[in-house]
Formats: sequence, C-alpha cells, structure tokens
Amino acid sequence: MLDVFNSFYGLIPVTIAQSLIVSFVVLGVMLPFRILNFPDLTSEGAFPLGGCVCGTLIAAGVNPFLAVFIALLCGFAAGCTTAFIHLRFKINTLLAGILVMTMLYSINLRIMGRTNIPLFTYDTTFTLLAGPAANFAWVKIAIVGVLVALVIAAMLYFFMSEKGTSMRAVGASPDMAEAQGINVSTATIIGVGVASALSATGGSIMVQTQGFADVNMGFGILINGLAALIIGEAITGRQTILRQILAPIVGSLVYYQLISFCLTLGLAPADLKFATGAFVLLMLALPNLRKSGGGNQIREKIRE
Amino acid sequence: MTDMLSVKGGTKIFYRGTQDERRALDGLDVTLKSGDFCIVIGSNGAGKSSFLNAVSGKLPLDSGKIFIDGQDVTKLSAHRRAQFIARVFQDPMIGTAPTMTIGENMLLAELRGKQRSFAYGLTTSRRARYSKQLAELNLGLENRLDMQVGLLSGGQRQSLSLVMAVSTHPKLLLLDEHTAALDPRTAKLVMDTTVRAVDELKLTTMMVTHNMEHAINYGNRIIMMDAGKVLVDIGPEEKRGITVMDLIDRFHTKSDAIALQGA
Repeated sequence: MLDVFNSFYGLIPVTIAQSLIVSFVVLGVMLPFRILNFPDLTSEGAFPLGGCVCGTLIAAGVNPFLAVFIALLCGFAAGCTTAFIHLRFKINTLLAGILVMTMLYSINLRIMGRTNIPLFTYDTTFTLLAGPAANFAWVKIAIVGVLVALVIAAMLYFFMSEKGTSMRAVGASPDMAEAQGINVSTATIIGVGVASALSATGGSIMVQTQGFADVNMGFGILINGLAALIIGEAITGRQTILRQILAPIVGSLVYYQLISFCLTLGLAPADLKFATGAFVLLMLALPNLRKSGGGNQIREKIRE
Repeated sequence: MTDMLSVKGGTKIFYRGTQDERRALDGLDVTLKSGDFCIVIGSNGAGKSSFLNAVSGKLPLDSGKIFIDGQDVTKLSAHRRAQFIARVFQDPMIGTAPTMTIGENMLLAELRGKQRSFAYGLTTSRRARYSKQLAELNLGLENRLDMQVGLLSGGQRQSLSLVMAVSTHPKLLLLDEHTAALDPRTAKLVMDTTVRAVDELKLTTMMVTHNMEHAINYGNRIIMMDAGKVLVDIGPEEKRGITVMDLIDRFHTKSDAIALQGA
C-alpha cells in the first residue's frame, strides 16, 4: 500500500503539469457548452490541430511563440467553421462538430505529412523561457500556470464587459439577445471560435512538453474535458461567472489526480476510457435519477 | 404629428406554391402616429403575430415596405432594428435571460442597439441607476440586482421585461400578449405599469391582445385584423365609450360584408 502511495505521490507534479495543459481544452469545452448553450465537439479535432500545426512549424524552424500563436489562429478558424455550419445550414451543433472534427483528421495529417514529428531536438517555448531547467515538472507548472492565470483573468474581465455580457445573453436566451440588438450569429461564431482556439493552444503546449506531435494525440480528450468540467462544477458551483470560469481549472486538477490514483491502484489503462465515459454518464444521469417522476423531466436544453 | 410606424403593402406568404400556401400578411397597410397606443386584436391566424414579427424584423417580408420614424427599415435584420424597437414577449421566459442577474439583464437592455465596448459592464453608477428604475415597480427588485432572473416569478419577470423595454425610450414598443401568461391580479399589475410608462414617456406602442376588456380599456386606437389585413380600424374619437359588444358587432358586419362581396 505504501508503494502505491509513493508512486502516486511521485507522479503528482507531472500530473499537475498535464492537467494545467488540458485545462485549456476544458475551458474550450466549457465555453460553448455552458456559456453559449452550443454543445460542441470541435475540441476533439482542434486539440490535435493545434499540436500538429505547432509541431510542424517548430520542426520547420519557426519561432515557438509564433508557432503557438499560429496554432491558436488555426483552432479559431476550426471553431468558427463549426458554428458557421450550424448557423448557415441548420445542422445540429453536435453533428457540425463531428463533421469538422473528422475532416480535421485529414487536415492534420496533411499538415504534418506524416503521423508523428519528434521535437526533442528543437527549441520550444519552455526551453526558450527556462533553458535547461525546462524539463523539470515544477518549471512547466510555473510557466503553464502563469499562462492559465492570465487566460482566466482575461476571460473573467471579458465576460463582465459590455461585449462579454452580450455574448452570455446569446447562450442564456437567443430570442432575448436578438431583441436587445445583439447579433446572435456573430457572437456564436466568435465564441465557438475562441473555444476551439483555447483547445488548439492546449494542443500546441502539449506537443512541446511531451516532445512530439502525433496525429492521434488527444483521442478522447473531449470526454476527459467533460468529466473534468463536471467535477469542477461540482466543486466550484456555477452561480457566478467567476465560479463558471474556475470550474474547468479546478476540475482538471482534481480529475487527473483521480486518474493517476486509479492507475497506480491498478486500473488497467485500457479500461480508462470506459471508466471515464461511465463516470460522465453517471454524473449527467444523476439529476434525472433523483427525480421520482420520470416522463417529462426538464432536460438540458439544446439549441436545434 | 409625425408617422412613427408605417407598413405599406406588407405581404408574407408561407409555403408559397404548395398546397399549404397561407397568406399571413396580405397587403397590410398600417400607420401609427407618434404617441399612438394601438391595440391589435383578431382571431388566431389573423396575422397579429406575423404583423408584430414583421415589424420587429424577425419575419422578413416577401414584399412591401416598413418605415420607422421615416426611415426605411425593410432590409434591416432584427438585431439592427432593435435600436428603434423594444419588445415584451408573451412568454416571461423569453424576454429575459434567466441564468443572468437582474443587473446584467438591465445592462443588456440599456445597451440595446448601441455599440458595446470592452469596458466593464455593471459599473457602480449603472447599478445605482438600475436600482432607481426598478424601485418604481414596488416589487423590491431594486435590492436584488445580483439575483438570477430565473428565480423570479412570472409576474416579476414580466415587470422586469417591461422596465427593460421602456428604460431606453424606444421609438416603438411592441407588446406581444405580454400579460396573457399571468394570473389576473398580476396581469392587472403589469398592465397598470405598462400604461403608466407609456403615458409618462409618450411611447408609440403596439399591443397584441386576446383580452377584449384590455382592448377597450387601454390605448387610443384599435386595429382588428383578419386574413392578414386590417379589417376594422377604430380611431381615438370613436374608441371612447366603445363596448365589447360594439367591437364584436363591427367585426361581424365587416366580415359579413366581405363574405357577401366574395359571393
């Protein structure tokens, strides 16, 4: 038992670093789902897209900071595409996300030209910022932690600004938003775009810490993100915009420690996705199970 | 007095060219003068909602033109027309953002049709102003700016919607059966608030209602619609002292006359 605890304890810093990186994706899942009421799957494709773009550019000798920025822009474009498909062709948001995600797989392969690019020999944002110390988990935590804090502060400020309040109204009540003179389509496209930009940023940071870009990276990241979000919301609540924005970070930190703990206890990695899926299902089903009625329960309202 | 709203030959046809073709609006001509409080009545399917939706921009016309305060708005989308128009919906759930606070809802209304900036939204001075506006309702909402609107009762939400709608002095106020979903006492309360605001601010108002009592007791004009047209238009002089029976008589005389013409 002590062994198990020791190996879990040893993994804590690495896990924190990983969860901070993934918290970008969780933010990218939260924003459309909770703020825009636009359940979106684009993250699953935007995360590897960010990784592939960033990895390819770094391997081509581009400045890593610029590479991250371009990856972010690519993610933004992917998200905008999903929202546009939904709004213009009235295709269900989930299906629009699946379409973009599927097509992104080919695009990612085309960008890289192969399935995997090693980056161990190249400078990354981490080596540029921290030199040889870049490989220490705590250094990664510090760098990504500062970035996460900046993103949270920026999002919090934005969503309390005049423009941000309007964007939240689009998710809260599209009819009301339109009647108040808010361009619902533009707000939705930009919002979903920003969400995917966050996921792509997460992917671009991930390839730099793991030392390679892979077209299959982040398979199932969306469900992980959703699980983290649900855990986070259970801890922070959703009453205020601050709590809603902190939920992804808190959830990601807790969720990956839980996974790490389960793995050290002996959960087979092969069973991980099933366990995560079952967990998400349980959490989503719980409110319905609690009600005695059945039949006409109030479900999550999803925009058609 | 100037014309505040003018609809000329407004036509909207649903399912054009199919068996289900239906003329929701059929060459509709309506003009409201500045300060008019116009009641729109008519049976289901008469075109009242289509009329309102056409004016608000939710329903683009197939042909015809719409002017607000002399400006041609026919081609403007709904969110662009919001700079002229405020609207209170029938469903209290639609007119407000339930997961946002009372203060945030007031902010959204204040910025209706204006350029929205990246500046902080709910400033101290705005909060003070909103409290003052809400205090006039006597519902205690002024002390609950940070409360989620979803926690309010239907009547409170409708009252809030109304304050949000009139606070910006819109050129045109559209009320879409805004008391229909409320119990009689609350409906009266919301109606009283409506009349007070419309009188005080001299708002040009269009109110759709199924309530005949409301139709004769409020406003200075009644438009009765049928088959996408104005069937009867009762002006201020005639409207004084009119009874529900008069209204029904007028409706039948007119529609019988049309039926005879057709035959």
